[in-house]
Amino acid sequence: MLRLEGVHAGYGATTILHDVSLDVAAGEVVTIIGANGAGKTTTLRTIAGLLTPTAGRITFEGQDVTRLSGHEMVERGVTLIPEGRQLFPEMSVRENLLMGAYRRAARARQAETLEEVLELFPRVRERLDQNAGSLSGGEQQMVAIARGMMARPKLLMFDEPSLGLAPIIVSQVFAVVDRIVRSGVTVLIVEQNVFHTLQVADRGYVLENGEIVLRDEAKALLANDHVRRAYLGI
Amino acid sequence: MSTASPTTTVPRAAPAGAPALPRWQAAGLALVLAALVAVPIAVDNAFVYHVFITICVFAALSTAWNIVGGFTGQLSLGHGIFYGIGAYAGVILAGLGITPWLGMFAGAALAVIVAVAISYPCFRLRGPFFSLATIAFLEVFRVLALHFREVTGGATGLMIPLKLGWEWMVFRERPPQLAIAFGLLLATLAVAWFVRWRRLGYYLVATRERESAAQAAGVDTVRVRLVAVSVSGGLTAIVGTFHAMYLTYIEPAAMFSLTLSIQIAMFALIGGIGTVFGPLLGAVLLVPITELARGWLGAKALGLHGLVYGLVLMLVVLFMPNGLMGLVARLGRRPASRGAQAAPAVPAAAAARPAVGAEILRVEGLQKHFGGLHVTNDVGFTLREGEILGLIGPNGAGKTTVFNMISGFLRADSGRVSVRAPDGTWHQPVSPADFAGLGVGRTFQIVQPFAAMTVEENIMVGAFHRHADVREARAVARETAHRMGLGPWLDVEARGLTIGGFKRLEVARVMAMQPRVLLLDEVMAGINQTDVRRAIDLMLSIRDSGVSIIAIEHVMQAVMSLSDRVIVLNSGRIIAEGRPQEVVRDPVVVEAYLGKEFVHAQA
Amino acid sequence: MDILLQVLANGLMLGGLFAIVSVGLTLIFGIVKVVNFAHGEFLMLGMYGTYLVTSALGLHPFVAVIAVVPVLFILGALTQRLLIQPLMASGDDHIQIFATVGLSTALINLALLVFGADIANTPPHGLRAPVEIGPVRVLTGQIVIFLAAIALVVGLQAFLARTQTGRAIRAVAQNRAAAELMGIDVKRIYALTFGIGAACVGVAAVLVAPLYPTSPNSGTYFVLTAFVVVVLGGLGSIGGAFAGSLLIGLIDSVAGFYVGSDMREIAVFGVFLLILILRPSGLFGSRLKLAHVSP
Repeated sequence: MLRLEGVHAGYGATTILHDVSLDVAAGEVVTIIGANGAGKTTTLRTIAGLLTPTAGRITFEGQDVTRLSGHEMVERGVTLIPEGRQLFPEMSVRENLLMGAYRRAARARQAETLEEVLELFPRVRERLDQNAGSLSGGEQQMVAIARGMMARPKLLMFDEPSLGLAPIIVSQVFAVVDRIVRSGVTVLIVEQNVFHTLQVADRGYVLENGEIVLRDEAKALLANDHVRRAYLGI
Repeated sequence: MSTASPTTTVPRAAPAGAPALPRWQAAGLALVLAALVAVPIAVDNAFVYHVFITICVFAALSTAWNIVGGFTGQLSLGHGIFYGIGAYAGVILAGLGITPWLGMFAGAALAVIVAVAISYPCFRLRGPFFSLATIAFLEVFRVLALHFREVTGGATGLMIPLKLGWEWMVFRERPPQLAIAFGLLLATLAVAWFVRWRRLGYYLVATRERESAAQAAGVDTVRVRLVAVSVSGGLTAIVGTFHAMYLTYIEPAAMFSLTLSIQIAMFALIGGIGTVFGPLLGAVLLVPITELARGWLGAKALGLHGLVYGLVLMLVVLFMPNGLMGLVARLGRRPASRGAQAAPAVPAAAAARPAVGAEILRVEGLQKHFGGLHVTNDVGFTLREGEILGLIGPNGAGKTTVFNMISGFLRADSGRVSVRAPDGTWHQPVSPADFAGLGVGRTFQIVQPFAAMTVEENIMVGAFHRHADVREARAVARETAHRMGLGPWLDVEARGLTIGGFKRLEVARVMAMQPRVLLLDEVMAGINQTDVRRAIDLMLSIRDSGVSIIAIEHVMQAVMSLSDRVIVLNSGRIIAEGRPQEVVRDPVVVEAYLGKEFVHAQA
Repeated sequence: MDILLQVLANGLMLGGLFAIVSVGLTLIFGIVKVVNFAHGEFLMLGMYGTYLVTSALGLHPFVAVIAVVPVLFILGALTQRLLIQPLMASGDDHIQIFATVGLSTALINLALLVFGADIANTPPHGLRAPVEIGPVRVLTGQIVIFLAAIALVVGLQAFLARTQTGRAIRAVAQNRAAAELMGIDVKRIYALTFGIGAACVGVAAVLVAPLYPTSPNSGTYFVLTAFVVVVLGGLGSIGGAFAGSLLIGLIDSVAGFYVGSDMREIAVFGVFLLILILRPSGLFGSRLKLAHVSP
């Protein structure tokens, strides 16, 4: 479904990704593991079209999408739930969710999708008319995920969904992510809690200093010595 | 020190005070300056003299503007205020029988007072709002000049008293006027050069690039800006006095003019904003357009030169934002070699670890609320000389907030932070500059390089804290850079570094301050395993040189092997404190921060 | 008493004028986060457009709206696309200031070159006729401006709150990166917003031209006050800018009558500087916009 071939990308003169190749098949759950600053977020932002690769190729459903911008990728069905929630703080939760369905393919069915999504997030339903900026961090993360679902994406990408949340909230967020993962959506996820993520993922890539150094089945990575030492602290 | 990477072993020339211009650029500059005098004398035509005098005047005004607008980045569109003050002071005093040679200094003194008075409140404003405020002040001065007609002559304006000769700065013939204009230009350029390449200049640019990082390096950013605006305003007034005597007639709309103020800024931008000689270049190229349009086409072409100005300005902004000087610099630059930025840091020879000494920093009962959120709740701890204190806790626990409060960047709602000075007395510093003065240095979690300065200049900003002399600061900066493994990148602009490079630069800058207490905010985040090992050695060597350290860190390997003591913060409270081995076994800490998996791994 | 009422009425009418001139400036600032120093020149061009349509074709000045508004919309959208957008990546305030200052300089001088420095008077077609409302007299044209300002403010608010495009515009203003992730074409929204802002000042130009003489410097005269209003209103708040306009109109009128006509500007700019320095979030601003003003 998604394929990156020899992608280089970065900000301004600074190249962060060096020759990154990875692929995600339809229905698969794939995770990218790496230290802070290894380039995980950069990878997701590059796929989402927020950054344009300086070299290499990205294809989605067989079509070249290397140079597409962010909104064009959304139109194709690629949605990123960004790190740090990134809600529209001075809009109501309902408006935030409706913005999620801005994509043409989702706009026509937005009422229906809203019902489906609210089924998944009963807590969000209670907050529909509040300003998003007034919610707690955990609630905001739930809204951010719900907003991502509103686009009815073909590929859903999570960037650090548990970052900056209290441990109790983290487990709730994981519960939601797990439910989405099991629902059959194709998922690419970056998450600092490597141990948990590797248990729900099918496959994983290890990113170090902007390069893929390891790729394997999630179970194999859990048993891999290097991964255990560097990322599981074992 | 023998393990330094090969590039660093090449002996370097002794550091110079100011960077020498490349020979061809120096020759070009001399040529331009010589032409400003030689051409009018050779042609000997009144109009040509007029054009060249005007070039000198505007180049001087623009150079003076650039000290604030370029070096400091405060984009004033109200410099007409100072020009007008100089003009009116000169003419009014001349009317009272006082020579403009004294009048210009009276004008300058008044301009300095006005500059400080209007700039001090305006420095809180950023970008366009600062510009708008300067425009508003300009309008106020224009209206005041119209209103107080007993002094200024109001809308009818003032004629200069017709007393000829050097004493009155008024001449029938042109050459003496050119001599004065050229002299003023040279003086202004000299001042700008001096300001730029002394400590003040580095401080100004650092303040422009990252105000908070400059403050952390001990720069009193308000003070240096006020000095800059005073110098700039004073020079502008002096040139204004001469120009008034040259024009022989002044009135409020022409003196306190927005168009003139914009032109002054525009020449600097087109020539190369923030460079010493850019404004000169801009004026040399653009002033003739105005004067020729005025002289040859007369009223028919009213607006033509302004249209050209506007278009040139837009094109320059779009296609060469660094101006003509940017172009000149690009011509002369050799392509920089870009290798991997991984020269190993060189820890100083490990001395025996000195014993942990007396308390140097004391924090008591810090409270901080943001809105309804209690981000810091009764935090208190002490740091001893030569000790490393680890500060850990989940994201959002308030670690960085605590750092901000113990370095002067944030005022606590209540509580005290005390630092012991080298003479043994205790102080309660308030501003970042106070903290820096007592030897507290910090890094920022989100790196804050001075992007447009080279690595060497970045570190020099720190070194200036203890070495006012540019040569000394440069020597200290180089030494620090080599020690931090940044030696090969001394002349690279900071924006070109990798994340790891930024992190090192951040530490290098604060180390160059030779701090007594070092606050490190996640300096190991995002660097690889080998570099973590090196960074740990480096920090130990820093500690062994007698520096006390507080480190916020997520890399537990580093926390465990570095810290003498660890404090765990959660939701703004200290939930545990003690030796690292004890803290990681504390069930409360495991629950809040480490997670069960960590404990299994340790066991 | 009647004199005071008349002074207040003049102030309100002046306030309506400032409001209609500044509403587009506020919109552009609030959404695109650019201070458009050429806003006054957009107004000036619109006034010349109205003058040309009215004097050349002998039509009522309000007919000019058909030509002036679309032209200014396009001018605004092009300004964003060609001049501002390329500079947005740099994140450098200075460059953006110079860009619009350059545009402003070019437009003033273009007008000077084309129309000369003489004043152009648009035929008033009865808009300068006085109307008596109780004890006060105002001009028909002033009342039209006042009502149009209210309509524009209300209409723009409704557009932003109720429509899909309006929501997208607000989303871009609140979080540009997230808006892109929702599938919003951020560059298109910026160009659209700049265009709407310029179109608003086009409406203002058509209404203002019959009442005030047009010259290349007309824009500078009005827009300095419009900047004051935008800051007063809380940087990007359309309702706030409206309230700020009325306040400044009243200050201007009262100071002009009771202190002296040449002190009006001092009063207005004095208030502006006080607000800027003491309350940078504006009188009606709800919160400090950290991106623009340090705490």
